[in-house]
Amino acid sequence: MEGIIYKIVFYLFAVLTVGSALVVVTSRNIVHSAFALLFTFFGVAGLYVFLSADFLAATQVLIYVGGILVLILFGVMLTRKVFDVKIFSGAGQVFPAAVGVAVIFFLLATVIVKTPWHLVGERAMEPTTAEIGKLLMTDFLLPFEVASVVLLAALVGAVILIRKEVRPPKVD
Amino acid sequence: MSITLPSINLIAVAPLIVLVIFAFLALLSDLFVLRGKTALGGHLSLLGVIAASLFSFILWGIEDLTFQRMIILDRFSIFFNLLFLLSAALTILISYNYLKDQEMDYGEYYVLLLIATLGMMIMSAGTDLITIFLGLELMSISFYILAGFRRTRARSLEAALKYFLLGAFATGFLLYGIALIYGASGTTNLQGIVEFLKAQESPVNPVMLIGCGLLIVGFGFKVAVIPFHQWTPDVYEGAPTPITAFMSVGVKAAGFAALLRVLLIALGDLEPNWSGILWVIAVITMIVGNIVAIAQDNIKRMLAYSSIAQTAYVLVGFISGGELGMISVVFYLAIYTLMNIGAFSVVTMLEKKGEENLLIPGYVGVGFKHPLLGLAMAVFMFSLAGIPPTAGFIGKFYIFSAAVKSDYIGLAVIGVLCSVISAYYYLRVLVVMYMREPEGEVTPRNRSAAASLSITITAIGVLVLGIIPSSILELVRQAVRALI
Repeated sequence: MEGIIYKIVFYLFAVLTVGSALVVVTSRNIVHSAFALLFTFFGVAGLYVFLSADFLAATQVLIYVGGILVLILFGVMLTRKVFDVKIFSGAGQVFPAAVGVAVIFFLLATVIVKTPWHLVGERAMEPTTAEIGKLLMTDFLLPFEVASVVLLAALVGAVILIRKEVRPPKVD
Repeated sequence: MSITLPSINLIAVAPLIVLVIFAFLALLSDLFVLRGKTALGGHLSLLGVIAASLFSFILWGIEDLTFQRMIILDRFSIFFNLLFLLSAALTILISYNYLKDQEMDYGEYYVLLLIATLGMMIMSAGTDLITIFLGLELMSISFYILAGFRRTRARSLEAALKYFLLGAFATGFLLYGIALIYGASGTTNLQGIVEFLKAQESPVNPVMLIGCGLLIVGFGFKVAVIPFHQWTPDVYEGAPTPITAFMSVGVKAAGFAALLRVLLIALGDLEPNWSGILWVIAVITMIVGNIVAIAQDNIKRMLAYSSIAQTAYVLVGFISGGELGMISVVFYLAIYTLMNIGAFSVVTMLEKKGEENLLIPGYVGVGFKHPLLGLAMAVFMFSLAGIPPTAGFIGKFYIFSAAVKSDYIGLAVIGVLCSVISAYYYLRVLVVMYMREPEGEVTPRNRSAAASLSITITAIGVLVLGIIPSSILELVRQAVRALI
């Protein structure tokens, strides 16, 4: 019984993710697209929970829903005229796109079927946050430190690109 | 809960730490200096580069795999460290006057330059796909910003945006590839991947292959091989010229250092699967790169296509594989660093305010008016074309002999033919400089002692390596031996 409920909930999340992703690409109104993206992100977070990745699920909600999506909505709403503009999402090059998609689908399907996957098997739901924190301070200390420098570079760059041009008075 | 910290050997990353400290110092120094006097940041950065070089130099011969097998100190990584630091130092030298002249003398320029160098060093020393990826991102993000550093020019911003958007996609491909390789092997550690492949009955595993292909796409974008090159001419043209110089050598050298570790060593057992793809890429890149370069009038665009073609020669050595192939790759990268930065230094010196005088016809008569500058440019162009007695000839000789030895004779023949084509557009610059009557006045606007020093170092380096290549070849050999 429990297994059936498990499956039903999983497929609910899967349908939610894929369905809302379809709306994102097919909607002609950019605001609708942005809101549909919200459900895609939530769906993915749900799928993470199914993989016993609780920390990842929480981060997904915090970063994507809380950060990136809000940013997109702000961007859309603060940009005047975007509301009225009908964005082009028609079918311009159906044939090449169909061929490309078919090839990639075939390739991925073959890979998924043919690969001998390593399966970890059933896993009990355990909180992973503490373990991740521990690993960041031990095994992944160097990547952790390097990531901080990456963020610093991005921060400095953002400031440079948006600040006002101030020229010192010319001294001859 | 107690956490036992792993033992870490900080000595192994000393050059990296020194560079970070100086980058922070340069960043902070901006707070205390008067506006418009950003040279202090430049001096600090130059000092940091020299200090990091000294540390690297002292550590030559010491080997250590530390940070839980995330990063390695060996002769290979030290050799590349020195190469990156040399490029950074030369770039700083040609930047001083240029920044002032183009009214973009902000201290952050040097900070980002150091951080980009740091990223390259991490890439060449990384022994885990995560470390290599972070190094690549560190380098790329710095270059996205540096490409758009001349904010008042639309072209510079266009370059930054183009590089960023396409680069983000390349990063995506690379990360996807890493994820698939992790999915197949259960590890991101290069050593672990080798062990995994050895343990398999047949190394061919569909996920592994797709992952490997995506890695080639990601790295192919960074080192700019055709068909992943579309951004190159626009970004090289739009970015500030010293940055173009640094980008054209540093990013490529770092990309190949990582590729050597990842493809040739970690995924070496899959060689029959990837060498065919690289063969096609190398041939297309050589032919198209050289032919399109002929049609360029803007010197920065010409050098951009030339750098694409030069990448293809390195790729030929890469495909040849084996010790000789690897030696030819590393050796050519060192030579390429010198001659390309040298050529861009001359371009920087002759550039007028606001991107003027970048067309090749604008170089009319430079050879007579400024004999030394003309002579230096002649050395660089001869070297890029691969004409003796310059280093470019020796480098190409090694690459093509490695190809012949590994039975890639077709590849070597195509390479030599393409070099002949390339002579046309390299020598055209010299024809314009020496064989036409000067019409207007060409003054090297950005002439400064620092920039002249950079040109002198590179020109002498190109000649010395061309006449006595053994001086550095032994170091290259030791570096490659550390890898195998």
